[in-house]
Amino acid sequence: MIKKTLNEKAFHLLKEKMEQGLLPQWVITDPDIYDLEIEKIYGHTWQFLGHETEIKEPGSYVTRWMVNDPVLLVRTRQGEVKAFLNSCTHRGTQLCTADRGNKKTFTCPYHGWSYNLEGELVGIVAGNKVYGEEMDKSEWGLRPIPQVASYQGMIFGNLDPNAESLEDYLGEMKWYFDILLGRSGGMEVRGLPQRWVAKANWKATAENFAADPYHVQTTHRSTVEMGISPEDPLYAGYGHQVVMKNAHGINVITSKTGKARVPFQGTPESMWPLFEKHLTPEQLDIQSKVTVFVGGVYPNLSFVSPIHGTEGHLHNYLNFRMWRPIAPDRVEVWCWFLIDKAAPEEYKEDSYRGYLGSFGPSGTLEQDDTETWARIVEVSKGLMMRDKELNYNSVSNYLMGYSHVKPDENFPGPGTAYPTTYIDALSRKMHEHWLELISKDMFEKEVSR
Amino acid sequence: MSLNVQNKVTADIHLEITNILNMEAYYLDNRKYKEWLELLADTITYRMPLRETVEGVGVSNIAEDSSFFEETKTSLRTRVNRLYTKSAWVENPSTRQRHFITNIYVEATADPDEYKVRSYFLFMRSRASTSDIEQMFGERHDIIRKIDNEWKICSRTIYPDQSVITTMNMSMFL
Repeated sequence: MIKKTLNEKAFHLLKEKMEQGLLPQWVITDPDIYDLEIEKIYGHTWQFLGHETEIKEPGSYVTRWMVNDPVLLVRTRQGEVKAFLNSCTHRGTQLCTADRGNKKTFTCPYHGWSYNLEGELVGIVAGNKVYGEEMDKSEWGLRPIPQVASYQGMIFGNLDPNAESLEDYLGEMKWYFDILLGRSGGMEVRGLPQRWVAKANWKATAENFAADPYHVQTTHRSTVEMGISPEDPLYAGYGHQVVMKNAHGINVITSKTGKARVPFQGTPESMWPLFEKHLTPEQLDIQSKVTVFVGGVYPNLSFVSPIHGTEGHLHNYLNFRMWRPIAPDRVEVWCWFLIDKAAPEEYKEDSYRGYLGSFGPSGTLEQDDTETWARIVEVSKGLMMRDKELNYNSVSNYLMGYSHVKPDENFPGPGTAYPTTYIDALSRKMHEHWLELISKDMFEKEVSR
Repeated sequence: MSLNVQNKVTADIHLEITNILNMEAYYLDNRKYKEWLELLADTITYRMPLRETVEGVGVSNIAEDSSFFEETKTSLRTRVNRLYTKSAWVENPSTRQRHFITNIYVEATADPDEYKVRSYFLFMRSRASTSDIEQMFGERHDIIRKIDNEWKICSRTIYPDQSVITTMNMSMFL
């Protein structure tokens, strides 16, 4: 089926257009492309599962999804983090449907098989009497997620046992994670992630969030009308867009002067010595100048660390969101709020309120984003857009900064840093990487590279 | 001396409170957000925690540490003011929405001017020319008080029944 509609010619045309800074629009919600993405991207890349502070105690667990694979993420009695397919090995039934909890054993409601925190099958109802010697319990433990690793408290899983290690996969992004997550000695998650289903394609949401500060001045114009954001249409464009290996990226948005509008993103002064302690001079330099960090880990984890104010107070927080694809035109968004463990309790509470006012489904900024996401997928099914031969020139424009913006060699962080965030460099990189991954082993001659 | 005997919920009180909640729904469904704000006490706490899936019998499935809304009158006013700008795209063009408020149960408190009110909501919304209808449902717990001879909502906690919200955003008030 996929072979039939996705031929080599369509892929070569795709590649040709992408090299010109154009993305054919038929790929956005094409169902065959979607199937390929799930198999070839999500089957082999590192997916975010949760943060270590979500499973603090021995026996703590959360249930998560790697697209359609249910995951049980636990802290064992020895304090180790483990992840299993959340499915009973007997008949495949989903083992645990709770969002979180703390337990010693997980028992399947179907026939009563139970497993401990190590994933070992420890109980079978009437086991000895009905199975006899032909069944060895040690062969029927929960299936582990092939690779699980964490960096700065962020736990990831990978379904491909042969995929490169998490640290290699994150590459240059580790340096920025050290700032975002490590600046004060560690972050903590508050509560559960908010979850909602948006009308959107995961590629568009990931790009919108990680790579597109240019949308801020129009999509979020209401904040300008209300006098919260500056009138200057370039206000979200000052700073650097950094493009990294594996299509990860970050925008370090500063201000017109290149200096911070508020020192250290409005964090309490009591925390600043911690930043000096935990960051290198180069990292501290960036943290001291930044207004907003916004970026993403390919394919579907995005983050923002902004400054927001409600009722006269300014504060900062870290928000991670995972775009779980559930259909070509649907994404289930998982949105986590993180704050420095070392922050004063009152500040944590204020920051949480600031987050709720800005991001997540009830956040005023994100509400407007959901409208544009929906408008992209709602028009993506027409014949003009679906035409793979591009007779109607249905291509999206990624030409911003395509040829004239050169990297800034003096930027202190790793990656290729462009001296503006109004640039499509990261978007292009994300889409090029996407093509490379989905077309891998598809044709005799590789399409990409 | 029992409170229930002293402070009864009369038919008049029940009717007045029901009318306030119906008036509120009318304001929200007709984009009269500034009028809506007038129904709220200046000291209102307006909350919406998450609902979670929890194992066990007789345990709470309200995630009290996680929210969609944790609002004051000031932050609600900011949200309302935004909806009167030209560029709050989520509501321009405006969505069409209805709040169906039912199962209103009024309970007296020690204060004869203050009542605990529980109601169910079904929120439905239509957007642009899509045929999909979005909905959300759940329960609201309010404190409604008579202040200077006017009924004001002094606190509201909204409990959604879904752990995964299926409206594409939460630009509505509930």
